[in-house]
Amino acid sequence: MTLARVRGTVVADQRSDGVENPCFLLVEECNQGGEGKGEYLVALDLVGADRGHLVLLAQGSSCRWTYLTTDKPMDTLVVAIVDTIDQYGRDVWKQE
Amino acid sequence: MVLARVKGTVVSTHKSSSMVGLKLLLLEKIDPVSMKGKGDFVVGIDSVGANAGEIVFFVTGSSARMTETTKGKPSDATIIAIVDAIEKDGAFTYEKAAVQE
Repeated sequence: MTLARVRGTVVADQRSDGVENPCFLLVEECNQGGEGKGEYLVALDLVGADRGHLVLLAQGSSCRWTYLTTDKPMDTLVVAIVDTIDQYGRDVWKQE
Repeated sequence: MVLARVKGTVVSTHKSSSMVGLKLLLLEKIDPVSMKGKGDFVVGIDSVGANAGEIVFFVTGSSARMTETTKGKPSDATIIAIVDAIEKDGAFTYEKAAVQE
């Protein structure tokens, strides 16, 4: 599970993944404070995340363990929106 | 899933029988902000009918075997979508229609 910031959306009409009405988000890998690393991924959104949200990504074959993605060719999912991150007793991220 | 631009095709005549009939494409990973290539190339199996110049995204690992085209095939990078538009912070960094005109 890694942390990422939602930066935008990716639109694709011609697909072979078989997922019904997917929402693909453009996410940037980031650290625990929400600062981006400049590395971008396309992720299937399961939770309704919005631009600016710090989200939790699941990657690899684990992505197929949801009802929506069973046996589907998906390898990056947004599985949670992060509310707070506490590091050594200090809040380094707080969702407004 | 990783964004990439299709740079060309890869042809192989001597290959495993399980690879027969699969279309191999040369992909360069891109940065979706500048839309420039990163100089990082991979060969992917096409399952959507992508062509050179198009922006696509591909899946890696065991998920690459989950499309109709690659079921039971030894693929670990499969193109699953042709990108029409990429939006970042409310502005388009890529629009397919605009590129073609």
